[in-house]
Amino acid sequence: MILRWWLSTSALLSSLTIVLVFGFLLQSSWPLIQQQGITFIIGDEWYPFESLYGMLPALVGTVWAVALALLIALPCGVAAAILCAELLPAQLRGAMRFSMELMAGVPSVVYGLLGMWVLLPLLESQLDLLTGRTLLAAGLLLALMILPTIMVLSEDAIRAVSQSQREAAKNLGIGWDAMLWRVLLPQAWPGIRVATLLATGRAMGETVAVMLVVGSIDRIPDPFYNFLQPAQTLTSRIGREMAEASIGSLHWAALLFCGLLLAIIAIGLSLLIQRKVVAA
Amino acid sequence: MVADLRHDDFLQAEPAGPLESSQNQPSAVLTVEKLALSLAGKEILQQVDFSLSAIGVTSVIGPSGAGKSSLLRCLNGLESGWTGGVKIDGNDIRQWPGGWDQLRRHVGLIAQKPLVFNTSIRANVCFGLHGWRQRRRADGLVKASLQQAALWDEVADRLDAAATTLSVGQQQRLCIARAIAIKPKILLLDEPTASLDPLSKQLIEQSMLQLAQQIPLICVTHDLEQAQRLKGQVIFMCDGRVIEQAASDQFFRQPQQIETREFLRWSVCDCD
Ligand SMILES: Nc1ncnc2c1ncn2[C@@H]1O[C@H](COP(=O)(O)OP(=O)(O)OP(=O)(O)O)[C@@H](O)[C@H]1O
Ligand SMILES: [Mg+2]
Repeated sequence: MILRWWLSTSALLSSLTIVLVFGFLLQSSWPLIQQQGITFIIGDEWYPFESLYGMLPALVGTVWAVALALLIALPCGVAAAILCAELLPAQLRGAMRFSMELMAGVPSVVYGLLGMWVLLPLLESQLDLLTGRTLLAAGLLLALMILPTIMVLSEDAIRAVSQSQREAAKNLGIGWDAMLWRVLLPQAWPGIRVATLLATGRAMGETVAVMLVVGSIDRIPDPFYNFLQPAQTLTSRIGREMAEASIGSLHWAALLFCGLLLAIIAIGLSLLIQRKVVAA
Repeated sequence: MVADLRHDDFLQAEPAGPLESSQNQPSAVLTVEKLALSLAGKEILQQVDFSLSAIGVTSVIGPSGAGKSSLLRCLNGLESGWTGGVKIDGNDIRQWPGGWDQLRRHVGLIAQKPLVFNTSIRANVCFGLHGWRQRRRADGLVKASLQQAALWDEVADRLDAAATTLSVGQQQRLCIARAIAIKPKILLLDEPTASLDPLSKQLIEQSMLQLAQQIPLICVTHDLEQAQRLKGQVIFMCDGRVIEQAASDQFFRQPQQIETREFLRWSVCDCD
């Protein structure tokens, strides 16, 4: 009885929180929507002093940074997971996993500082850039930060493929590499997919580290695929400008709208995750 | 340890020694000598000797835990910690050309627990074929294999359905079809009819007898009548040892060893 009461109260409270968060975000960004309609979402100019609140540059920046991070971290993470789960002896595997778990635990501001002091100079000197603060820097840093998530969860998924599945494949004379493509990865795919979606969520919401390396220029890269230019993400904009905006102003409302956008995308992602988990 | 046997073309009596046996018995495609296996500090198989001739069924019987499945797993390299000698066509299986994977294509094993892959029925049958093109153009092979496994009639109209939707008995037959599809030269079956109805059992036995005209089969079974029906040779195992091996009619009519008699009469085995 008590247990049931406790469970239902907690469930109710947590779902209430979600509603509250959305309500708050919508309510505080309402003045902006009221004044400018909804078209500012696809506006490409962000000049708070002229009341231009185009969301597109930061949206593009966010998508780019996350995509770059995934592009780098997914192959690396899955490869590391395969190595760990299938090839390494138990001790090495333990060491590698432990280091990955440590990596996941390092606060993101530390990654940001590391990026500033190591990654940026490196990019500047290697790629001959005016500034290392680019989308590429943000992508690389984010990749490093989501690598542990992808690797650890994918490894679990690969190891969860049952011994009898492997033996059934072996019995048909299927070699290890064919087994990898035809048994292990397909079986582990739901888990890898969830890992990827979780990592995407983390990369999208990451603020401090990205803010330190992305350059914070509100401009759509030109051409749009040029990731060697400074840019802005939704989170880095909020992190950078929130302190300057006076509460209740349009600027403030626009920043909260950035938050709303992020929350919507995040909810979309978790709906995706849930669908996949149920399907798996 | 091994009973005195009639010398016939299925099985040699008392393997004499590593060299002699393979020379004296050119027809033997599989010879096992002093096979021993320990797992987790426990002796699972001790001093197992026998050989198979070019065709025919060899039934392996014995109480649960006797090491029958373990023996089959050694023969196709799923267990690797064994000692002794296993030769197929005169080749030591440890030095099999192409390694264990090639050996396993040569020596098919149908495991005790049926396990289908999480794909369609058709894809399951083709799973062992190399190359996706071969797998896609295998309709004839799929049909033949399923027919041989006595499953074709039940699944002919839903080859693309998920294999996991089949019943356990159907899955077991699907596993047989999958193993037959890669055309092994020796087939090891671990209780292939354990969860089947009498009719399917009969069909499977017919297929086995048919196959046995071309290749040697080893069939582990708890069904003594099945061992009789399959003719051929019978090996009786207990506690990791081969107690007796003989041609089936002789084995059941005049068992030589006292343990065998006890087992046939009371289904108990006390051979420590
Ligand atoms: N991986 C393992 N580790 C330790 N012991 C094992 C292992 N596999 C099998 N055994 C033991 O080996 C013995 C023989 O097992 P096996 O599966 O070969 O028996 P079986 O004759 O096939 O029995 P059944 O008729 O019940 O299938 C059993 O006592 C079992 O506990
Ligand atoms: Mg068994």
